[in-house]
Amino acid sequence: MRVQFLLSRLVDLVVVLFGVSVIVFLMIRMIPGDAVAIMLGANTEVTPDRIAELERRLGLDLPIWQQYLNWTGGVLQGNFGTSIWTGRPVLDEITAQIWPTIELTILSIIVGAGLAIPIGCFMAEARGKGAEVAVRIGAIAGLTIPSFWLGIVAIFAVAKLFPQFTTLGYVPFFQDPLGNLQRMILPVIALSLPMLANLSRLVRSAMLDALSQDYIRTAKAKGAGRRRIVYRHALRNALIPFITSVGVSAGYLLGGAIVIEQVFAIPGLGRLVLGAINERNYPLVQATILVITSVFVIVNFIVDILYAVIDPRVARS
Amino acid sequence: MRHFSLRTASFAAALLATTAMVSAAPLQVAIDTAPAGLDPHLITAFNSVLIVQGNVYEGLTAVARDLSIVPLLATSWDISEDGLTYTFHLAEGVTFHDGSAFDAEDVAASIRRVQNAEIASPLASRVTPITAVNVVDAGTIELKLDAPFAPILSSLSSIAMVPAEYETQKEALQQAPIGTGPFKFGEWQPNGFISLNANEAYWTADVPKLDGIVFNFVPEAATRQVGLTSGQYHLLPGIDPATALQLQGQPGVTVQETRDIAYTLLGMNVSRPPFDKPEVREAFNTLLNRQEIIDGALFGAGVPAGPLSPALANWALDPSGYACYTPDAAKAKAELEAAGVTLPLKVKMNVLPRQDTRDIAQVVQQQAAAAGVEIELVSQEIGDFVQSWRNSDFDLFVSANGGSPDPDEYFYRTFRGGGSTNVFKYDDARVNELLDQGRTTTDPAARKGIYDEVQQILACTGPAAHIAYGNLFTAVSDKVSGFEIYSNGRLTSLRNATLAE
Repeated sequence: MRVQFLLSRLVDLVVVLFGVSVIVFLMIRMIPGDAVAIMLGANTEVTPDRIAELERRLGLDLPIWQQYLNWTGGVLQGNFGTSIWTGRPVLDEITAQIWPTIELTILSIIVGAGLAIPIGCFMAEARGKGAEVAVRIGAIAGLTIPSFWLGIVAIFAVAKLFPQFTTLGYVPFFQDPLGNLQRMILPVIALSLPMLANLSRLVRSAMLDALSQDYIRTAKAKGAGRRRIVYRHALRNALIPFITSVGVSAGYLLGGAIVIEQVFAIPGLGRLVLGAINERNYPLVQATILVITSVFVIVNFIVDILYAVIDPRVARS
Repeated sequence: MRHFSLRTASFAAALLATTAMVSAAPLQVAIDTAPAGLDPHLITAFNSVLIVQGNVYEGLTAVARDLSIVPLLATSWDISEDGLTYTFHLAEGVTFHDGSAFDAEDVAASIRRVQNAEIASPLASRVTPITAVNVVDAGTIELKLDAPFAPILSSLSSIAMVPAEYETQKEALQQAPIGTGPFKFGEWQPNGFISLNANEAYWTADVPKLDGIVFNFVPEAATRQVGLTSGQYHLLPGIDPATALQLQGQPGVTVQETRDIAYTLLGMNVSRPPFDKPEVREAFNTLLNRQEIIDGALFGAGVPAGPLSPALANWALDPSGYACYTPDAAKAKAELEAAGVTLPLKVKMNVLPRQDTRDIAQVVQQQAAAAGVEIELVSQEIGDFVQSWRNSDFDLFVSANGGSPDPDEYFYRTFRGGGSTNVFKYDDARVNELLDQGRTTTDPAARKGIYDEVQQILACTGPAAHIAYGNLFTAVSDKVSGFEIYSNGRLTSLRNATLAE
């Protein structure tokens, strides 16, 4: 793999992060209602002096370009600022809440992408048979059912059928592994189902395409077994669009996690950023979005490298 | 295959065993959002107060279920003849959660902390009349006022007592509160939960009875609801009428209900014509059909609101006595025309983003149309709403406010000319005079007379048309006993509650 290839991807990463930082910085300040108004709230004693004092303390009295420079200057030195409300460094707040989201996303990718391959292969092989049609209808249902609805229905159903089963909230894995997994089952199902549906349909069509190629006929002719043909010859070629889709889906999972965290009362990044937007907690919103963007960009960076691994032609072109 | 199913079965059994163990101990409460912090002198948001006040922190006085003021950390007090000196006798054997003893020095430091400009407490105005705090001895403290201030005992119920060493510290109590209450702070999982543990050294015997309380932050109403019916949560405070309706009659759940001291109101900007004219404000009161609003928007759970909640039984006048409370669209129209308003009058109305206020706004819009007023509803996001409210940038708004047990606390800041939350820019000479008198009059009967007149004036020509006092609902699992709903929404009775296995 060429160094040049890696470098050009790294430059992309920096450009995207810079663009996002500017957009987020401006956007959170453009929406009406500023941090000071919300902080002072509806039921407190407010004087112009106190508003001015608070603005000065938060650095909101400076011109906006200067605020931006101060912030990026800090970020480059690893200082993301402090939360307006709690006064704690925003990185502490983010690290305190990032694990549920990471766990939720990774488990969902494992379930969504992991199951999509066998299900997709099955659908391609058994094309047109009764079982395949049933799975295909299920996949379309999975695509169209919103995950928050599925989540709420699942909570109701489990509460009715297995009242002993704790489905809400979060405990860290290393504190109580069973309790952790037990609470993760429903959110992961709700979050990964649309992804699973989407990806298995994608694997199916890519496999159908691959299976009709000449080299498959050659493989059959030389007497290769069914498993070898499907998993070794066809799947490898069908994987490129699949990997792209997994990369993009990771971004959607992070977005979907916001909703799922809301439904299942999981204290993750989604809840953090939503709360931060509502209370106009500028440094926290900026840092969280930057983290989410970085994850998304890095995942796609890894996807690009994976292309090169699966198909060496990519890195050469 | 057999091996596999055996493993599955033992796995499931293990899961069940852990859940049974976990759900045994503390009382699980579910509320919608996490507080910004737990410093009782800095954060006055409702969810913060709900968690710490009365549980972790205590004041010299407390608000009882009937909203009267009762002793707490001060077991008794003497008031001098002129009403300027209050002497409080403190409870004995009280310790803070860090083990240090509670005495008069802590009281003095706590009050000075709220008054300190550096700390910038939003509660500062409640203790401004206190000019001197004198420690007489460890168990006695004397407060000097610059003028008689009748609401002082009520105000003191909201001033939490903290250890003296925190007098000048701004951050420490936000994350790890230390008070004298029956529960001490345990753990805070951001956006997840806050847990409180029983304070074994609590100064009243046999309190608390619970092992602990966990406040779970659950943003989704449907999730809270199913969490209660499935037994994962035991208490849902302050649920909306629709959820209450659904939970009523569910097995294992009791919905407690009381009159709320919070209320919904229609605010009018007196600095913008035509609302500068009292006749116009009166016409708006006349065009409102409050009962219809309650039936249409609040599922019938509520009563028409005068300026004070009927929960303040000692103060509130019966709203049916106000002339402008008889709904009459034709009369309102005539009043508007008589005041020189050209009909149809076109105005904008900002709406607080809450289900009840949105529904109310729509009914009001209909009713106003019948009197020749065309209202354009402006649905705002909360930050936006607060900003326009704060800057008096509105014609009309529909909103909800928390009430307080003393009339002065609400009236003075809201309707006194220059009052800190007088966003209406209302400035009436007679009301100002009465409100000033109300603060310095300590004779209950004379004070009652003053606030009667204030209510009479505000009801029809004040800048806020009070719409309804809704009902406050709290859903309680049948495993909980001893919990009683308070009309100020506080969880004061948790100290006496118990949880069955």
